[in-house]
Amino acid sequence: MKYPALILPVLFLAVFVYALVKKVKLYDSFTAGVKEAIPLVVSIFPYLAAILMLSELFEQSGLSRILTNALAPAFRFLGIPPEIAKLVLMKPFSGSGSTALLSEIMATYGADSYIARCACVAYGSSETVFYISAVYFAGIKYKKLAKPVLIALFVNFITVILGCLFCRFM
Amino acid sequence: MNAIFALVFLASASLCLVLAPDAFLPALLKGGEKAVTLSVALLAVYCVWLGFFKVLESSGLAEKLTKRLFPLSKRIFRSDDKEALFAATSNLTANFLGLPGAPTPLGIRATQKFCEAKNDYAADMLFVLNATSLQLLPVTVIALRASLGSAAPYDIILPTLAATLISTLLGALLVRLTARRRNARQKIRRRRNA
Repeated sequence: MKYPALILPVLFLAVFVYALVKKVKLYDSFTAGVKEAIPLVVSIFPYLAAILMLSELFEQSGLSRILTNALAPAFRFLGIPPEIAKLVLMKPFSGSGSTALLSEIMATYGADSYIARCACVAYGSSETVFYISAVYFAGIKYKKLAKPVLIALFVNFITVILGCLFCRFM
Repeated sequence: MNAIFALVFLASASLCLVLAPDAFLPALLKGGEKAVTLSVALLAVYCVWLGFFKVLESSGLAEKLTKRLFPLSKRIFRSDDKEALFAATSNLTANFLGLPGAPTPLGIRATQKFCEAKNDYAADMLFVLNATSLQLLPVTVIALRASLGSAAPYDIILPTLAATLISTLLGALLVRLTARRRNARQKIRRRRNA
C-alpha cells in the first residue's frame, strides 16, 4: 500500500518544519507529548482488561457459537450470508479476533468470493464498539453509556446489511 | 456498560460451567494477557502520536486549523471548547484517512473535555461517528485481501464507503433525534416545576 506509506512522512515533515519556522523547541515539545502516553495507557488499562476478558470468555464458553447458530436464519433473511454471522457478532468485541476470522473466511471461501467480499465490507465498515466505548469513556463517571453504544451497534448492523446488498452489484 | 458486562459475563460463565468448566480460567487469563500485550503496543503508538500532537500544538498550527474548522465543528458537536473541538475534528480526520493509532488519543482527550463540560451530546456524537468507521481506504482489509491472493483487492472500497457513508449519516441523525427528545422532555419538566 503506497498511500499511507507516503502520507505519514509528509505529514510529520510538514508539521516539524512548520514548528521549526515558528521557533518551537522540537525535542522538548516532542518529549513533553510522549510523557502523556504512560498515564493514558494506565488510565485505560482496567477497562481494556475487562473487555478483553469478557470477549475471550464470550468466545471460549461457546456462547458466541450458540448465538451465531441461533441468529443464522435471521441473518439469511436480511441478506447477510450466515457464514459471516460469527464475524458480525465478534466485531464489536474484538478487533484482533475479527481480523483472524476475516482471514479464515477468505482462506476458506476464496478472497474474491461473494461471501469473502461481504465479510470484508462487514469488517471494514463497522467498529469494535465495546472496545472503543471502554477506551473513550475510561474513568468518566458517565451515566448514559447505553444510548450511544446501542446507536453504534444498531448503525453498524445496518451497515452490514447494506454492505452485503451493495456487494451484489458493486 | 455495567448491565452489558454483567449480562454477557453471567451468560458466558454459566455456559462454561455446563459445557467446559476447564476453559473458564484460561479464557480469563488469555484476556488479561491480551490486555497486557495490547497496552504495550498502544503505549508505543501513543508515544509517537502524542509527541507529534504536542509539536503540532506548540507550533500554533493546531489552533489555526481549529479556527478554520470552527464553524463546522461547532455545529456538529454543539460546543465552544476550542481544545476539545480541535481534538474531536482531528480525531475524525485521522479516522477518515486511516492513520493507524492516531485517532484514539485524540478521541479520549476530546471525550474527557466534552464530559467535563457536561456536554453529553458531543461525547455521544463523537463516539457514534467513530463507531461507524467512515474511512477513505480500508487499509487493513485491502492488505489482507492482497496477501490472500485476491485478483482485485480494491474492489471492496466502493461498497464499504457507500455503506459506511449511509450508516454515519444515520448514526448522526439518531444522536440528534434522541438528544432533542431529551431536551424537549427537560423543558416540559421545567415548565411543570415552574
